[in-house]
Amino acid sequence: MSSTRTIRTDYLARVEGEGGMLVRMRGDEVVDVRLKIYEPPRFFEAFLRGRQFTEAPDITARICGICPVAYQMSSCLAMESLAGAEVDGRLRALRRLLYCGEWIESHTLHVFMLHAPDFLGVPSAVELAKLDPALVETALRLKKIGNEVMRVVGGREVHPINVRVGGWYKTPSRADLEALVPDLEWAKEASQTAVRVTAGLDFPELEQDYEFVALDADGEYPIDRGGRLVSSRGLDFPISEFYDHIVEEHVEHSNALHARLRERGAYLVGPMARYALHRELLSPDALASAGEVGLEPVVRNPFRSIVVRAVELVHACDEALRLIAEYEEPPAPSIEVVPQAGWGHGASEAPRGVLYHRYRLDGDGVILDAKIVPPTSQNQKMIEEDLFAFVRGHADLAEDELRLRCEQAIRNYDPCISCATHFLTLDIERE
Amino acid sequence: MTVCVVGVGNALRGDDAVGLEVARLLSGTLPEGVHVVECEGEPVSLLSAWEGCDAAFVVDATESGREPGAVRRLSAHDGPLPPELQRSSTHLLGVAEAVELARALGRLPERTIVYGIEGGSFDTGAPMSDEVQAAAAEVAASICRELRGRD
Repeated sequence: MSSTRTIRTDYLARVEGEGGMLVRMRGDEVVDVRLKIYEPPRFFEAFLRGRQFTEAPDITARICGICPVAYQMSSCLAMESLAGAEVDGRLRALRRLLYCGEWIESHTLHVFMLHAPDFLGVPSAVELAKLDPALVETALRLKKIGNEVMRVVGGREVHPINVRVGGWYKTPSRADLEALVPDLEWAKEASQTAVRVTAGLDFPELEQDYEFVALDADGEYPIDRGGRLVSSRGLDFPISEFYDHIVEEHVEHSNALHARLRERGAYLVGPMARYALHRELLSPDALASAGEVGLEPVVRNPFRSIVVRAVELVHACDEALRLIAEYEEPPAPSIEVVPQAGWGHGASEAPRGVLYHRYRLDGDGVILDAKIVPPTSQNQKMIEEDLFAFVRGHADLAEDELRLRCEQAIRNYDPCISCATHFLTLDIERE
Repeated sequence: MTVCVVGVGNALRGDDAVGLEVARLLSGTLPEGVHVVECEGEPVSLLSAWEGCDAAFVVDATESGREPGAVRRLSAHDGPLPPELQRSSTHLLGVAEAVELARALGRLPERTIVYGIEGGSFDTGAPMSDEVQAAAAEVAASICRELRGRD
């Protein structure tokens, strides 16, 4: 008779929001894996109804304190596409710069403060600071630089106040942006070092046959916008067909909807997907950093996502520097956007992956319906599949070690539970 | 002597706003060289708020089961702060962890005083309760007295 084992973490640390995990095993066989998101539903989609289309960027920014820019960009893009308006040129360059600030701030937080402790055998950033104060000082400075980009372009470090449908309330001067250059140059070097440091970590073994999904941004590494979604198995469709290819469904153990590809099930969005699909579009120095540490063109070990994030940090710094070098103050801070009745779609690459928004407006610009699909809800099913595969391959690990590794496997995704509930505690049950 | 007073909190979550309220009460009333900072984001920004300061006063709401409005005054140099100041769920770090991070990095001001004000309700959109509002005035007055004592 085989015995049942349950490994549980009631409250998962170092993730955004509240969730837990349950792994149920019979002997060494995994019976069930559940990523449990118990952060209460937040009803953002419901209270957008009846609001003016111009309010969506500021309301949706409040969904997340780590990636507010992603919400602002996806909502603006949806409203603008519906109105047939396109924010382009210098106004758009500023959007990409603001988004680079968010990538720097968010990726730094995850790579150094939330994920690195797993690899270095310490429980928290505070313990990491005792072990390696220089590493944490680097992280704090990098994060501050990302925040500073957001403050200068967005008007505030968290929940920027300068973003509007059609562009900006006020555009920064060339001098404002040039003042950021020395810090960004330092940040780029620190990011290149981060690639070398993370590549030298010990990675648990796990290779998954992912279907990677990311935006296609017409020859650019996708960040602030993209009109099509592409996958490593040949999907290629305009974002307006999102729900033709992707299904969202309720599962009992999660307050976040699970997304899956209609035909094939779980898929992966985020840094590993962007890197697998668009590696050649990285800045030459980001690509060189990846090459220097021998990072394979397609990374299938999710634990190595920390290295991919560091490569994207180099890219974000390079992009920010390029955008600043080319910047000239636009003649007007925004373009006119006249609302129309109909459906609008917008998508951008949040630090954690594709963030899709869909709105229905009436002719006066009032929002009748809103749908927001954050990256963490799209990755939930893949996180469960990673856990299933990892536990199956490592069932002989001692209970504490197995729990720790499972938590680390979840943190591979930098999950943002606060965004996804519309999540972390770990339970492993052995029968 | 450079001093900073940091009020930590969330203006939209009932009594969690009390740290911000103390900062607002003190803003413009303190001697030159004392800067007042409202921290609505993650408390890790405390490290940059008190950079270069000889002394820091930090005010945050606590949730420990005591009476709403109850005030605790702690010196960070007496040791780690108690669990009610470790509210690190959706933020990266709570005030207690930010203080420990600063301690590990040698970035804790020479004198770091933390006032914890017990909150009753942390509901989204709720106003601050009367007891906690009164405690905010009391803590603002205490910080004024402490600063005058240093002149």
